[in-house]
Amino acid sequence: MKKSKLFIYLFLLFAFIAMKASAQQVDSLLNSLDNAKKFNKVEATFKSPHIVLSHSTETQKKHDLDLRIRHHFGDIGGEFGSAHTLYGLDVATDLFIGLDYGVSDNLTIGFGRSKHDELYDLYVKQKVFPQKNDGGRPFNLTLLAQIGLVARKPFATTEFSNYSNRISYFIQPIISRKISSRISAQIMPALLVRSVTGDVNDPENLFTLGIAGRIKLTKRLSFVADYTMVNGLSRPNDLTLKYYNPLGIGLEIETGGHIFSLNFMNAEYIIENNFISNTQKSWGKGGVRFGFTISRNFSLFKSKNPDTKSTIY
Amino acid sequence: MISIKNIKLGLAILTLLIFGLKTNAQTFVGKSIKINIFSSTPVEDIKAASTLGSAVISTQKQEIAVQVPIKSLEFDKKLMQEHFNENYMESDKFPSAKFKGTIEPVLDWTKDGEYNVTAKGTLTVHGVDQPRTINGKLSIKNGAVNFNSTFNVACAAHQIKIPSLVFTKIAEVIQIKIQGTLNPLTK
Repeated sequence: MKKSKLFIYLFLLFAFIAMKASAQQVDSLLNSLDNAKKFNKVEATFKSPHIVLSHSTETQKKHDLDLRIRHHFGDIGGEFGSAHTLYGLDVATDLFIGLDYGVSDNLTIGFGRSKHDELYDLYVKQKVFPQKNDGGRPFNLTLLAQIGLVARKPFATTEFSNYSNRISYFIQPIISRKISSRISAQIMPALLVRSVTGDVNDPENLFTLGIAGRIKLTKRLSFVADYTMVNGLSRPNDLTLKYYNPLGIGLEIETGGHIFSLNFMNAEYIIENNFISNTQKSWGKGGVRFGFTISRNFSLFKSKNPDTKSTIY
Repeated sequence: MISIKNIKLGLAILTLLIFGLKTNAQTFVGKSIKINIFSSTPVEDIKAASTLGSAVISTQKQEIAVQVPIKSLEFDKKLMQEHFNENYMESDKFPSAKFKGTIEPVLDWTKDGEYNVTAKGTLTVHGVDQPRTINGKLSIKNGAVNFNSTFNVACAAHQIKIPSLVFTKIAEVIQIKIQGTLNPLTK
């Protein structure tokens, strides 16, 4: 009698386990088929290939052509600012027009022209590897190489006695990490090689170290900043001309498709080959200015797949 | 004693029944389910597609489960795709969309045929569960199961917020099309 009861209970238990197992089977099967693990690249460490002054680790998307117009105004305060220049808005210390093109998702080439020194620049930017969110790689690595050509007439007859004196080179490995969906940080050492300096004690090769970051204040509003240490590293602090380290801060407002940036910086110039070596304004002495970027993205060579075709009316 | 004998007899029948059911029960799996999403406003039509959805049907209780990794949805404009993942779907937090439910009415899965079916269950998008009843078509042919369905998902129901600045470009209700083939699971 007792044995039979035990047998019944055992049987019911096994039957219950068997039923439960079959119910769980659907979930575990679905989990084993899940393709989500393939998408382990961390995306959008920064919203744009540029932070304020410096490049970020981001590159253009494949076949995206970005037309970029940048503007740095004059000093807000100090000797050259105040109401007489409408806080710098009367002045353009630098203007830039450029095109960036994504050859692939990882390789961007860019070409541009600045008002200052009539500088033409050409750059190649290669994403070496992205950060992975499955614990694989903790950071993004991107390499930037930029060449600049000064096209203006020489100030002194000897200035560009050799044509190669017009050329400068900028090489920068960029390392960044998306720490959380709100916070990203970046560090970028760099080397600027130039031929003409304003001071005999000013070295031709400048080693710099930059730091940058982003804090998302809301889903669509971010605070961004970048700072480049130039002076006091490979360049002595006691030059006849006083140079300052470039610091840019900005607010990025996203309007779904376009990013609107309000930037403030002490650097007068826009391209690294100019602003790293020639920033002579200081945040402390009213030498801060307003800057903006207008960028328009064109997607070229769209896929002919009707399932992904978007139409703007 | 008689009662125990009866119970034993009952158990024997039950055992037969369970094992009988077990052998009849089939599991179908599909690894490349197609998902299309479509947003339409007077200003802009936006489409995206994925072929990396997966699905499981267990005939024992007629359970169906379908999921798609949000990041597998491809857009024509890659920047739009990034915004979709980053701002709207928050794909790092909620990597997949999922539906799990039961198919009605009861079908004979061993015979070829075409049926109009409904699936009653839970749709999880953007980490928000919604009870849903979704209509679709299901056909069984040569031991494989084919299904397709078109249904709508309201962004607001899944707490996907669209800022007022782009309100004219993104529809409040997104149309989802799903279709795929499931083959019997070989053990």
